[in-house]
Amino acid sequence: MPEIPLIQGGMAVGVSLDNLASAVANEGGIGIIGTAGIGMVMGGKGKNFRQENIEGLKKVIRSAREKTKGILGVNIMVALTNYEDMVVTAIKEKIDVIISGAGLPLDLPSYLSEDSRTKLIPIVSSLRTAQLIFKRWFKRHGYIPDAFVVEGPKAGGHLGYKPEQLTEPEFSLERTIPQVREFTEKIKKEYGKEVPVIAAGGICDSKDVKRVFSLGASGVQVGTPFIATKECDADIKFKKTIVNAKKEDIIIIKSPVGLPGRAVRNKFLEDVERGVKKPFKCMYHCIKTCNFREAPYCIAEALLNASKGDFENGFAFIGAEGYKVNSISSVKEVIKKLFEDMQ
Amino acid sequence: MEEKVINIIAEQLGLDPAEVKRDSNFTEDLGADSLDLVDLIMKLEDEFDVKIEDEVASQLKTVGDAIEFIKKLTSEG
Repeated sequence: MPEIPLIQGGMAVGVSLDNLASAVANEGGIGIIGTAGIGMVMGGKGKNFRQENIEGLKKVIRSAREKTKGILGVNIMVALTNYEDMVVTAIKEKIDVIISGAGLPLDLPSYLSEDSRTKLIPIVSSLRTAQLIFKRWFKRHGYIPDAFVVEGPKAGGHLGYKPEQLTEPEFSLERTIPQVREFTEKIKKEYGKEVPVIAAGGICDSKDVKRVFSLGASGVQVGTPFIATKECDADIKFKKTIVNAKKEDIIIIKSPVGLPGRAVRNKFLEDVERGVKKPFKCMYHCIKTCNFREAPYCIAEALLNASKGDFENGFAFIGAEGYKVNSISSVKEVIKKLFEDMQ
Repeated sequence: MEEKVINIIAEQLGLDPAEVKRDSNFTEDLGADSLDLVDLIMKLEDEFDVKIEDEVASQLKTVGDAIEFIKKLTSEG
């Protein structure tokens, strides 16, 4: 268990790598490396997509390990075409935690071996998803999830809801957290395993943390506020984009991968909205659900460009409360703000 | 057996068994989403004591597909 009930949300492409993850781990939280596009981030050209990503992930995990003795994890999206490679590599590298969403991680436990000590945490958007994953993991793999991250509609990046559900109270954390908590209490009673509920999406300060704890969460996953830190791995222009974003700049886009996403409006996205195509050559079809033949742009490339500071050819994802982030500080400061005056 | 499969499908999707026809497509005609389908496959596995691999499951598009597949599995015993 971490000293602080905090998971730093995995942010890809190229936003939460070894520096950010190890800094969070050093402060007693769980630091998470975002794995999507990690081969390109580490200089791969896409010629040998699978191998480049395996090597990239290995390098980043090892580098993070050198910087901390704390708890490190990876976030691996189920929608990645190289999902299995990433999971197998992370387990081989003895990562402490795998967090997996953006699809149903139905068979994640099958990759563990007898001596693996990696913990497995699915990201869910509803009670129904939590129940289904539990049922499948328990029935097919004899495994009970080590926690549930419940990611609500106020999260940044790709969202596990339909656009029209984002503002419906039925899908809010206020509704989902107590339901999932009730479910994990049942698991505890029946199987004797404590399965913490981790709230995610729109959590920015200690008021938010207290609110979700009162709903039944016992931990939080926080992403956006950690972008505005000196330790974050993205370019300074990326950090400033988050800091400068006002409420009205935060929009919902239709991502080429078939999910809605929350992002900071800029010229690139406005062009796309107007129907401008950004030509690209898809060399490796990295997301299973990406309609790359008709997509107006390559989202992996756009996110990679942005992480390097090129906003002419890219854009940043952001959480719904990201406009409250107004300065670049440090991981220590962000954590202090999240947990100040808490027992 | 056919009736049993139809009843399980109807129950899972909250439909009247009369609405579930052999040629009904799970997603297009019966409104099933990806969670429904995973859950449904697990229920059928339990009920008929069979194992349905994901690759196979993703090819079962209609109620008839599911019935035929389970028939085949159970007769092979």
